[in-house]
Amino acid sequence: MPSLRDDEFMERIADAVELSESAFAPADLKARVYSALAKQQSRTGQLMSLTETHAHGHQLCVFEQLVRIAPVGETVKSLNICRVCHARVLAEHLENAPIYWGGCPYVEFKKS
Amino acid sequence: MRRLEQQASDQPQTISLRADEDLALVQAVLRKDRKATAEFVNRYSGHIYSYVRSRLAPQYQQAEDLVQEIFLSAWESLSRYRGTGSLHAWVMGIARHKVEDYYRERLRTPESIKDAELDPDTSTSVATIHQVLEQEQVRRNTQRILSALPEPYRLALIWRYWEKASAREMALKTGKTEKAIERLLARARAEFRERWNHAQSS
Repeated sequence: MPSLRDDEFMERIADAVELSESAFAPADLKARVYSALAKQQSRTGQLMSLTETHAHGHQLCVFEQLVRIAPVGETVKSLNICRVCHARVLAEHLENAPIYWGGCPYVEFKKS
Repeated sequence: MRRLEQQASDQPQTISLRADEDLALVQAVLRKDRKATAEFVNRYSGHIYSYVRSRLAPQYQQAEDLVQEIFLSAWESLSRYRGTGSLHAWVMGIARHKVEDYYRERLRTPESIKDAELDPDTSTSVATIHQVLEQEQVRRNTQRILSALPEPYRLALIWRYWEKASAREMALKTGKTEKAIERLLARARAEFRERWNHAQSS
């Protein structure tokens, strides 16, 4: 019987087997990734202000909405307020965090 | 026929629509639109996570760290995305580079595996392979054996045979000699095959 060299054998195995896993990213991982990205973005200047974000048609969460309508300057409205939100903390540590309100990215990560 | 013509005429439009969507998302993320950034994470984290997990299994904790690194790296170079290819392919390209960096780092460290004897008799015939090529069983065996291999062996095999890197490329990237990489691959292949043959016989 013809035998295969180890190299040829591995090539055949690799051709026959796709190593992909059908894994959904866990919600807490998405939350950590998003927080890290937002933090990185704020390091190099302000985020898009909540006024502008709203004007682009995005839904804001209840806390963002409060900041958006508050009589404060655009600089404050450009802060990454998720940094001080309990929803972020819960979402980064719990796969099924008890957060439910609309417009919050951390809530959206749980749904997808 | 009419439907085919319709499909043919629809296709470029769909592609250009997708390209427009990708560019719009990138521009919004670059403007630091927080909702677009969340959408970016939501859209690609599944694909990236799945890919990284398959390449690092069973080091799942490290897979999560690497996914975060990939996104941060994508953000750093996002301004260079021109929209010539799909954003998905672009992001996956970054993921591949990061996985390669991971392999490089791990294989650079001195090996702590005792040399496995290469047994010329542990050969598997073409006929046997064809018989065993019951896709699902082969896949399960491969994943199980890869997961159980010492890390340097596992990474070297995946890098060489699934990522299609040449021994020369691997040597250049790890700072080892090509001969050292060939030796590592030979030991890894022998170990894989021995376990494979053992799985077949038991």
